[in-house]
Amino acid sequence: MPKPTNQEIVARWRDQPAPLLAVLHAFHERDGFLSSDALDGVSKGLKIPIAELYGTVTFYHHFSLQPSGPTLRVCTGNVCRLRGGLELLEALSPKGAKSMPCAGRCDEPVPVLSGSESLVGTSIDTLRAKPSPLPAPNPGGYAECIFAHIREPDRSTLAGYRRTGGYEALSKALREMTPAQVVGIITESKLAGRGGAGFPTGAKWKAVADAPGHPKSIVCNADEGEPGCFKDRAIMDHDPHTVLEGMVLAGYATGAERGFIYLRYEYPETFRTLERAIIEAQAGGLLGRGILDGGFNFEIHLRRGAGAYICGEEGSLLNSLEGKHPFPRNKPPFPVTHGFENLPTAVNNVETLASVPHILRQGATWYRGLGRNGHAGTKLISLSGDIRRPGNYEVPIGLPLKTLLFDWAGGPYSGRTIQAVTMAGLSGGFLAGDAMEVTLDEPSIRGKGSFLGAGGIIVFDDSRDMVRAAHDAMEFFADESCGKCFPCRIGTQRLTERLAGGAGPRDLSAWTEEVRDIGAAMRATSACGLGMAAPFVSDSLLQFFPEAVRFHVAARHTEKP
Amino acid sequence: MSATATERQQTMTLDGQEVTFAQGETLYEVARRHQIQVPTLCYDPRLEAFGGCRLCVVEVRGAKTPVASCTTRAAQGMVVSTATPAVEKLRQTLLEMVVSENREVAVNPLRGFASQELTTLVHRYGAQTGRFQGKHSGKSNSADLNPFILRDYDLCISCYRCVRVCAEQEGDYAISVMHRGFRTQITTEFNGNLKDSSCTFCGQCVQTCPTGALADKKALRGADLPGEIQKTRTICPYCGVGCSVDIMTKGDRMVGIQPAMDGPANQGALCVKGQFAFDFVQHDDRLKTPLLRQPDGSFKEIGWDEALDFAADGFRNALEKHGRRSVYGIASGRAPHEAAYSMQKFIRAGFGTHYVDNCSRA
Repeated sequence: MPKPTNQEIVARWRDQPAPLLAVLHAFHERDGFLSSDALDGVSKGLKIPIAELYGTVTFYHHFSLQPSGPTLRVCTGNVCRLRGGLELLEALSPKGAKSMPCAGRCDEPVPVLSGSESLVGTSIDTLRAKPSPLPAPNPGGYAECIFAHIREPDRSTLAGYRRTGGYEALSKALREMTPAQVVGIITESKLAGRGGAGFPTGAKWKAVADAPGHPKSIVCNADEGEPGCFKDRAIMDHDPHTVLEGMVLAGYATGAERGFIYLRYEYPETFRTLERAIIEAQAGGLLGRGILDGGFNFEIHLRRGAGAYICGEEGSLLNSLEGKHPFPRNKPPFPVTHGFENLPTAVNNVETLASVPHILRQGATWYRGLGRNGHAGTKLISLSGDIRRPGNYEVPIGLPLKTLLFDWAGGPYSGRTIQAVTMAGLSGGFLAGDAMEVTLDEPSIRGKGSFLGAGGIIVFDDSRDMVRAAHDAMEFFADESCGKCFPCRIGTQRLTERLAGGAGPRDLSAWTEEVRDIGAAMRATSACGLGMAAPFVSDSLLQFFPEAVRFHVAARHTEKP
Repeated sequence: MSATATERQQTMTLDGQEVTFAQGETLYEVARRHQIQVPTLCYDPRLEAFGGCRLCVVEVRGAKTPVASCTTRAAQGMVVSTATPAVEKLRQTLLEMVVSENREVAVNPLRGFASQELTTLVHRYGAQTGRFQGKHSGKSNSADLNPFILRDYDLCISCYRCVRVCAEQEGDYAISVMHRGFRTQITTEFNGNLKDSSCTFCGQCVQTCPTGALADKKALRGADLPGEIQKTRTICPYCGVGCSVDIMTKGDRMVGIQPAMDGPANQGALCVKGQFAFDFVQHDDRLKTPLLRQPDGSFKEIGWDEALDFAADGFRNALEKHGRRSVYGIASGRAPHEAAYSMQKFIRAGFGTHYVDNCSRA
C-alpha cells in the first residue's frame, strides 16, 4: 500500500473532532518521527500556529522530532525498578532503548514497548508479547460488579459480551427509561468517580444534563498513568464493550451525542481492542445514528495520548484533545459546563463507566449492597510490588487492607515482611506500621493522612530502601510536572534533589524544614492534583521513616562539599 | 418592581470589610480596586488570567486550600482574607523557591518595563535567603543575534507572560513553551532564531517580562552611562495611531523607549519602529547644520539665516509663479511633534491650503 501523502493524512482527520493527536500519530507512524514538513502541514491544515504546535509536540515524550529508527521503551516505573527494569533497560540500551515511566503492567513486569506492541519479561531472553493478565477469581468470594463476567470466554467480543446480558442495560434505558431516570439510578447507587477524585457520578451527569449548550460530550478518561495502576487496562482489554455501553448510557443520561476515549499511548493492544469493539458496536446498531432503531445518536471517537501523565488530569486531557498545550485548566468553570470545546462535558474514568451497565441492569440497591460497613459498591485495586500474587482485585469498599494483602494476595515473599504500601498509586504516599490498619475506603485512609484515589497499591517489603523509593516516586512527579504552576514545577525538582542526596542543608532539622515547607506550599497552592499530591510522598517518608531520613541526611556529611 | 439578583448590588467581605463587586470581577481585581497589593508574577492585566505563579493565593472561608485570586471570581457573601500569616508564609516560600532557580534577581531596569517585579517582591518578602538550593532552570539563548531582544533565559521563571502577550495582544504566536516541568523553555518554531520566526520585534514580550530574562538590547547599551533613568511621557510620532511612550533618558542621552501601559491607544503595545527605531536621534550621521546644494551637486555648510532666506525665497518664487496650490508639505515621522505642528501651521497659514501630510500616515 502506498504511504499516504501529507495532504491525505491531514484531510483524513481535519474535519473530525479532536484531530491533532490522531494526525500527529499518523505522521509519526508513517515516518517514525515528526518532520518539520509534517508539522508545517499540520500547522496549516489544522490552523495551529507553528510555534505553538512545535511547543506542544515537545511536551509529549513519545513524539520524536528526529529520525530515530524503531524505538524500544523499557518501563522503569516504580514497580518495575523492584523487578529489574533498570537492568533490562541497560541490557537493551545497545539497541537504542529508552526508559518510560510506569506503563501499567505492574502485575507482570517488565513491559517493553516496541513500536505498537508490548512485550513483557525480565530479561532479553524472556521478552515476549503477551496479553495482559485476567484478574484472578475473587479470592474473598465476594460478589463482584465490574469483574463479574470478565473471565467468561470471548468476553471482549460483541457476541461474548451479549451472552451474559451485554447491552441489555442500554436497551432497557433507551426503551423504558427517561434520561432523568437513568441519572436517578446512578445517583441512588452512590457510584462515585473511580479515577480517584470520588465525585458522585449521578451529580456530575445531572450537571451536564442541566447545563445549556450543545453538542455535549462524554469523555472516557483512559489515560491510566498513575504508577501502580493497571485496572482500566484490564477492563478495556477483556471487557471493552462494557466501557462503550457505559459511555452510550452516559450520553443518553446527559443528552451528549459524542464520546471520546482518551487512551494512554502505552496501551497499543488496548487501542486495537477498543477500535475493534467500536466497529462491532457500530455494525450492531449500538453506536452511531439511531441506536437500537430509536432516536438516540451517539458516536465514539478513540484518541491516543502520547506519553504525558498530566493528561489524566481532566483539564489537561481536554486541552490535549482540543490540540492545545496540555496544561491543566483553571477551575471553575468545571467541565460539566465548560468542557470539550467549552461545552458541557462529563469526564468519567473507565472504571466508573464500566460500572454503569451493571448498575442499571441490577439496580442501585444491589450496587450499594456490594460495599461493607455502610460503604456503597466496589473498587478495583491494582496491587503490585513485593507481594506474592499481584494483580487486579475487585474489593467491596470497606475491606480491610490487610485482608487484601495477606488473605487475598498471599502476603510478602517468604522471609520478608511488608514495610510500607503506597496509596493511590504513588499520589497518596506511603502507609506503614500501624497506619496500614485501614479499610479500603476514603474516610479510613484519609484518617491516616493519605487517600485511596485510583486504587493502586504498591508493596515495599523490608528489603527496600524507603528513601530510594520516595526518591523514585518524586522523580516521576518531577518528570511529569507540566510546568504551568510554580510550586509543582520547582517543588518536585527540589524534593527530588533532596531525596537523591547531594542537595539541601546538611543539618537534619534544616533539611526537614525545607522539605516540609516545599510540601506545604505545593499542597496549598498547586494548580492541580499532581502538585497537591506529590508531597504526600515526602511527608509520609518523614512521618513513617524518620530514621531512614536521618541516615540519608547524615550521609551528606561524608560528601565533598 | 423588585430588582433581580444580578441587578442588586453584590457584596463580599474583603479583609474584614464589606465591599461591593461587579459581576465577573475576580478576587484579585476587587482587591486591587481597594488598594490591596496582592503579589503576582504571572499576572498582566491585559492578558487572560493564567494562574501559574500562585503568589496571589488568598484564603476563602469554607475552601479547603487557598485559591488563586486572579482566576477566582467574586461571589455573593464570599469571605476573603488576602494576607493571613499562613498565606504570607506560603508566598515567602514560593518566592524563595523562585529565587533558587535563578541566576540573579536584581537586574538593570533598562531591561524592560516589568523587569523589577521579581526583585521588588523578593525584597518585600525578605525571600533572598539561600534556601532550596539546587539546579537552575532555563538556559540563555546567546545564539540569537538579533539587534533588539536579549533572550537571557537563565533568568526565566516560566510565567509565560511573553508567550501569552505575543499570542493574545500582538497575535504573532511567534514563541511558545517547549518541554515541560523544570525543563520548560521558551522557544520559537523549531527552536530557531526570532528573525526566522513570525516575530515582528514589537518588544511586548520584553516589556511584560517580570525578571528581565527578555531584555531590551538597545536600552542596555546605556547600562553603563552615569545618572538615573528619567522617563518622559510622549506620543510616538511614527504613525497616526498615537501610541503613548515613555522616553528613557540618562542625563542628556536618550537610552530607550518603553510603551505606556496606560496609553489609551496602545495599552502597552508598540511596533518595532516605536519600540526600537530611535537611533537616528543621536546618530553621528545626523545633520547638525543646514547644507546648501552647489551647482556642481555638492553640499556646502551654511548658517541658519542664509538657509532660511534661501528657502523663503524659493517658496515665495513658487507662490508667485505657480500659485498657492503649488506647494505641498510633508513632515517626517522622525521629526518631533512640534515640527509636525509647525509644518501644518506653515502651510495652512502661509499658503492658505490643506496641502499637508506626514510621511508615516498609516
